[in-house]
Formats: sequence, structure tokens, C-alpha cells
Amino acid sequence: MIKRRLLAAAFLVLSVPLIPMGVQAQVQTVRVGVDVDAGTLDPRLARDTSAYRATDLIYDGLVRLSPDLKPEPNLAQSWQNPDPKTWIFKLRDGVTFHDGSPLTADDVVFTYQTLLKPELNAPLRSLFTPIAKVEATDPKTVVFTLSSPYAPLLTYLEMGIVSKKAVEGGADIGLKPIGTGPMKLARWNRGSRMVLEPNPNYWAGVSKLKELQLVVISDNTARAQAFEAKDLDLIQSPLSPQDIKRLQANAQFGNAVTSGLGITYLNFNTGEATLADPKLRRALAMLVDQKTIVGDIYQGVDREASSILLPSSWAFSANIKQPTFDVAGAKKAIEALGWRMAGNVYTKDGKKLSVVLSTHSEDPNRVQSVEFMQSIFQQAGVEATVRVTDWPAFSANYVQKSQHQVALLGWLNIVDPDRLMYGQFHSKGTLNWSKYNNPALDKLLDEGREALDINLRKTAYGKAAQIIADDLPYYVLSYQGYQMFYSKALGTVKPNPRGYLRDVIAFQKK
Amino acid sequence: MLAYVIRRLLLLIPTAAGMVVITFSLLLLIPGDPAAVLLGQEASQADIANLRATLGLDLPWGTQLARYVGALLQGDMGRSLFQNESVSSIIGARIGATAELAVAALVIAIVIGVSLGVLAAMRQGTKVDTALMLLAQLGVSMPVYWLGILLMLAFSVKLGWLPAIGRGEPLGSAVWAALSGQPAVLADSIAHLLLPAFALGVNSAAIISRLVRTSMIEVLQEDFVRTAYAKGLRRTRVMVRHALRNALLPVISIIGLRFGLLLGGGVLTETIFGWPGLGQLTIAAISQRDLPLVQGIVLCFAMMFALVNLLVDLSYSLVDPRVRMA
Repeated sequence: MIKRRLLAAAFLVLSVPLIPMGVQAQVQTVRVGVDVDAGTLDPRLARDTSAYRATDLIYDGLVRLSPDLKPEPNLAQSWQNPDPKTWIFKLRDGVTFHDGSPLTADDVVFTYQTLLKPELNAPLRSLFTPIAKVEATDPKTVVFTLSSPYAPLLTYLEMGIVSKKAVEGGADIGLKPIGTGPMKLARWNRGSRMVLEPNPNYWAGVSKLKELQLVVISDNTARAQAFEAKDLDLIQSPLSPQDIKRLQANAQFGNAVTSGLGITYLNFNTGEATLADPKLRRALAMLVDQKTIVGDIYQGVDREASSILLPSSWAFSANIKQPTFDVAGAKKAIEALGWRMAGNVYTKDGKKLSVVLSTHSEDPNRVQSVEFMQSIFQQAGVEATVRVTDWPAFSANYVQKSQHQVALLGWLNIVDPDRLMYGQFHSKGTLNWSKYNNPALDKLLDEGREALDINLRKTAYGKAAQIIADDLPYYVLSYQGYQMFYSKALGTVKPNPRGYLRDVIAFQKK
Repeated sequence: MLAYVIRRLLLLIPTAAGMVVITFSLLLLIPGDPAAVLLGQEASQADIANLRATLGLDLPWGTQLARYVGALLQGDMGRSLFQNESVSSIIGARIGATAELAVAALVIAIVIGVSLGVLAAMRQGTKVDTALMLLAQLGVSMPVYWLGILLMLAFSVKLGWLPAIGRGEPLGSAVWAALSGQPAVLADSIAHLLLPAFALGVNSAAIISRLVRTSMIEVLQEDFVRTAYAKGLRRTRVMVRHALRNALLPVISIIGLRFGLLLGGGVLTETIFGWPGLGQLTIAAISQRDLPLVQGIVLCFAMMFALVNLLVDLSYSLVDPRVRMA
């Protein structure tokens, strides 16, 4: 049983003065450039980065994540587990929605009950399916009952709580959101500009800003130029490496870099005949010139990855290592498997060693990476072809149907190691497009999911990551970096790995 | 005349029907499942299948088409899969911006194109003519994407004269505001409009200038021009009243065509300048496989194109009395 009350009390006392006072008093409006418009402002249905960033300001979740991704009290003042399958949350007093109605346990219950209904079609529903029951035992207490112990749940409970009264009353909160967060929607010109203004009744203090605007410019270079022309005050990833270099050289702008919550990786289809042997997957991974791809193609914006655990996570360990670039070693390993060079290509039993390297056309850096890999593969005697299609055709019709051999793609929002491993590698995982099946790994992933003690979880994920680094259903190419540039009139702005903007809006003590 | 207009308007119906069937079939042929895109990578196959059923994407092609057409006949263009709004309200909110940009680009194209064309024709064979036609060549071959970025770099980033992105108040309401004593609103709208309209209009300006030049040179050799000179009229008067008016006839048809292209061709310009029109929306809708929205936009563009063509045909009869509408 974990008692968090003391910690929660300490957090409450400390939280208000600790919120960074990054924004200087004279700045009234902050204009943030974003690459897409939010599809919806209903936090249960949010699916794009802009929707995540806006709903983070408009709504509050039960918890908030600290910079090293540990859950901290937010709308929930404290929580406890009488047993591993029961989570009891006590809600903070005096919190109201933007329409003035008070937050109660019923709103929390409503949010999660509707999220779990298949007809809502919530993109992240699968993260919450271990919830068997959620109920309010009194107006300030919510009890989650799980079908099996599920430690990552606490992290996912950062999702915003919606107003039951408003939604049931027919309000379209996707367009006219009603949350409890520090900002509320003032105007929204779809596809162009979203204007948020401070919530004057926010429980943790009121923002000094008059307005925060999210301005949509989908082209990366045009967005960077609009920032240089002072039409924007802040821009953040995704940015083109070339623009980053230019902006970094300009002393007028502040620049903040942090590691993001995403990876770029190669998905090896272990169910496919050629790639079924882990030794061959290792050999091919040794042909990936990680340093050149990360350093030259991505121009050092991302970091070379060493394993499936993110450096920003509590689970990270620097001791786990994937194979590194070594052409001679790769060729030796291929030959040890009985392949012989015939002409320029390795062959065995009359069959050429050939692989299809695939990715999607929206990201020119990924296309370039795949083409670069192709040239090294071919020089080393592996016949490589490149297949590039747009994202919907690549993702849904190819990789998710396990029709690929080696695919270059990414994962985002990895707030818990479970989110990057269970679905992806567990034999029961719904995202196991690698067709990987290893009972030893299944056991470790179950342990990591069920243990509530963070040290036990860390050990389980360390062992699991080692197996993945050896067996290579995934070869993790890079940890995605997160870049932010801002006008120095804003003072010093702290970066957030997901581009969340709470530090930008700065609070005044209530 | 009225009968002609009615007949042309009725012809829009089969045009629209054809467009609907073709776009619908093409969209279903493109690989990539909207339900999978909508739910993202982390969704389970069961959730995706459930959403496909909800959206009716699991139905046969013919049934889906019949449903769509049935709703369309009742004025319902469906709901966008990604934007949580009806297609008609999404298009309605943006079509004004696209039309404003296209009209502004067309005005710029006509003013620049006609002036330069006339100038080149008057100075035919001189260095001025050569320089202008080189400029036109450049204008025709310059991609709008590159020109847009370049203009932004020069006038917004370096000189700081014009805003790099976005749109001011819609021009109509800005003019109203100016009339009621707020000229700054109009100035702001025009400042936002200048760069994207210029970037979009340059290509058409170049084409129009070439056409006007050729047409003017032909007209200038006609007898009636010689007669006008013989009557002792001044050169500018001959040029404007006699020559240009006749030289513009073939230009009108090309202007109509260009306007259609400007409406649809604003896609890149809108993306670069963050102009909240249909262009940006089109790209997003296609890459997300937002089928009802793509369908709605294509239909809308097709209808606008057809209407513009009708207007062009009608304008012939106004300019050239020899053309009869029957």
C-alpha cells in the first residue's frame, strides 16, 4: 500500500511558489507556432500534438507528470492502493469548471466511463482497458477497480477531466471546451488561430498573460520564418534541422533543448522467413550507421539511442547496449550463418539475401535515412530495396499488417516504459507488428506492468530492454530531441518534452 | 440569353454527379484506412474494426456511394472524420478566405500582366521588350513555393514591412470598418493579403503579359488602328481605346481559366503563408484520408470552376457583340 498524503501535502505547499516565473510582466500575448490545428478539444478524443498541448492548458487531470515522468498530485490531492487492483483518489477542494460548476467525483467517473465505451472511439482507449470499474464513493472520492494490477495507469491519469453536466447537457466540448485548467478558450478560427485566455478562478493562481495564441503554419520553414519576422513568439519541434541551425546562430532568440518522449526505430518483422533468425537481425543492425544518420541527416537534433529505454525515464539504464555500426563484424556474422558472397550479393541455397527497407514519405529525414541505409547494405552484400509510401498506406496497410521486413518509423508520448513495450512485444500485445514471441520477455513485461514498486519495475524493464537489445525485434535508432525557440522578451522559458506550455503561461499567486 | 444561362446551370448537375462518382471511387482506391489514421498507432485492431463499422467504411462501395449521394441530395455533405464538424460548415468557414486570395491574386495578375504586355507590345523588338519577356519567362517558371518563401524572407524577415503569415479581418468587413472610421483594420487586412496574393498572382501575370503582348502586336497591325492614327488621335488614346479593347478578347478566356487555377492553386500559397483557406485544408484532409471532407472540397472546387467558366462565356457576349448566346 502506498500512502501519498504526506507527499501530496508537501507538493501543495511548495507548488505555487515553485511554478516558474518565466514570463516577464510586460508580455501580454504569447503567440505560439504549431504545425497542425487541433482536431478536437475534447481531451478524451485528442489525437494530435496541438490538441494535446491545448487540452493540457484547458483541462486538468487527476495527476501531472514531473520532468522525469513521475505522477504528482493535480486534481487528485492524494491516492492510495489498499490492494494492487484498487486505486482510491481524493479530489482537491474548491476546484470549479470554466462554467462555474464545481468539480466532483462524478465528473471523474463520467470521464473514464465514457472513455472506455467503444462507441466514443477514443484513440487511447486501449491504454485504459484494464479498468474494470470506476465509481464515486462520495463527492470527493473516486475508486478505480482493475481487472489485473496495472502500474502504468497512474501515469495515464494525467488526461483531462471533462464536465459531466456540460457533456450530458449536449455541449460540444470538442469545439467549446469546458475544463478546470488555467486557460480557457476565447476564440478559435479553425485551421488558423486558437486564442486562450486565463481562467480567473484557477485553483493554483491566475496566469499573467492576457492571451495565449496557437497559430497554425503547417510548413516548417515558413513557421520558422514567421518566428524570425516576429509574427510568432515561440516555436517548437517539429522543426527542420536546417532552420534549427539558422535560428541557433541568431542571438535575438532563446533556444531550449531537451530530450523528447519519442523514438525513431527500425521495426524488424521477426515473423518473416529471412528475418526470423535473431543473429541475422543483429548482423543487419550492425550495418546501420547510426552516427551518420543522427549526426548528419538529423543534424544532431536527436540523440543516438542505446536501448529501448528513454534517457528521460526513471527506468533508463546506460548499461544496456544494442549492437553498433560495424560492417566487418556484420559480414562475419552473415557468413557464419552460411551465406556466401556470389558476385556482389550474399546467397544461400540459391537464394539472395535481400531486404525491403520501408518508411513513409511525409518525413524527408526518414526517407533519406532509408536511402542511406540502402547504400550501405548494398555495399556490404545485402540486396536492399526501398519502399516509400504516404503514412496511411505505410502504417495501416503495411506495417500494422506485418507485411514489412524492415520499417523505419517512430513512437511518441512514451510516458511509461509499458507504453513502448507491452503492446509492442508481448505475445498478447495488440501492436506487436514485429510478430515477436518470447515467453521470458512476456513474464518480465507482466511483472513491470503489475508491480507497484518503482524499483521492481525498473529491474523488470532493465532485463526486458536487454532481451530486446539482443534479439532486436526493434532496433532503436534515436531518441527524439525536442527543440524550442522563443523571443527573449519572454524571459527564460523552460522546455517541456511534449511541448506543453504551462511554463509559458506563468502564474500569479491567487 | 436567359435560356442559355439556365441550360448551362442545368449542365452543372451531370458535371457534379460525375465528379462525385469519380472522386468517391478514387478515394476508396487509395490505400490507407481512415479509421486506422483516426485512431492512431496505439489503437487495437478491434477498436479500428469497430470504428470502421460505425463510419460505414465496411460497407460495399455501391452502398457507401448511394448513402453519400442520398445525403448530398438533402443538402448534407457529411461530417469530417477528423474535425468534429460538418463538412459544409468547415468549407463555409474557409471558402471566403480562398476566394479573397484568388480574387486579389487575379487583380494583381491582370494589372501587372496587362500593363507589362501593353508596354512590351508598344516597344516591340527593343531592349525593354526583351527584358520584359525575360521577366515573364522567369515568372512562368518560378515555383510559387519558392517565391513565397523568398518574398517572406525579403519583406517580412529582413525588411519587416509586411506580416509573414495569417490573415487580417476579411476584406469585406475591413472595408466596412474603414468606412466607419477604423482605417487601420483595412490597412492590416491589405498588408496580410499582399505577399500571398502577389506570390500566387505572379505566374498568371507572366502568362497574361505574354498573351497581351502577342494580341496587341496583332491588333496594332489592323486597319482600324491605322485609321485611328490617321484621324490624328493621340498614341495613348489609340492604344487604350482602340487597340487594347480588341486585344483583350482572347485574354478574357485565359483570365477565366487562370481564376479557376488560382482558386485551386492556392494550396501551396496558403500552406506557406498560413492563410486559413481551403488549400491548407485540402492537404490535411488528403493526408488524413478524411474522405467526406476531401469529397466536399473537390465538389466545391469543381462547382466553382464550372461557374467561373460560365461567367467567362457570358462575358464574351458583353465584350464582343458578334458572339451570340443561343
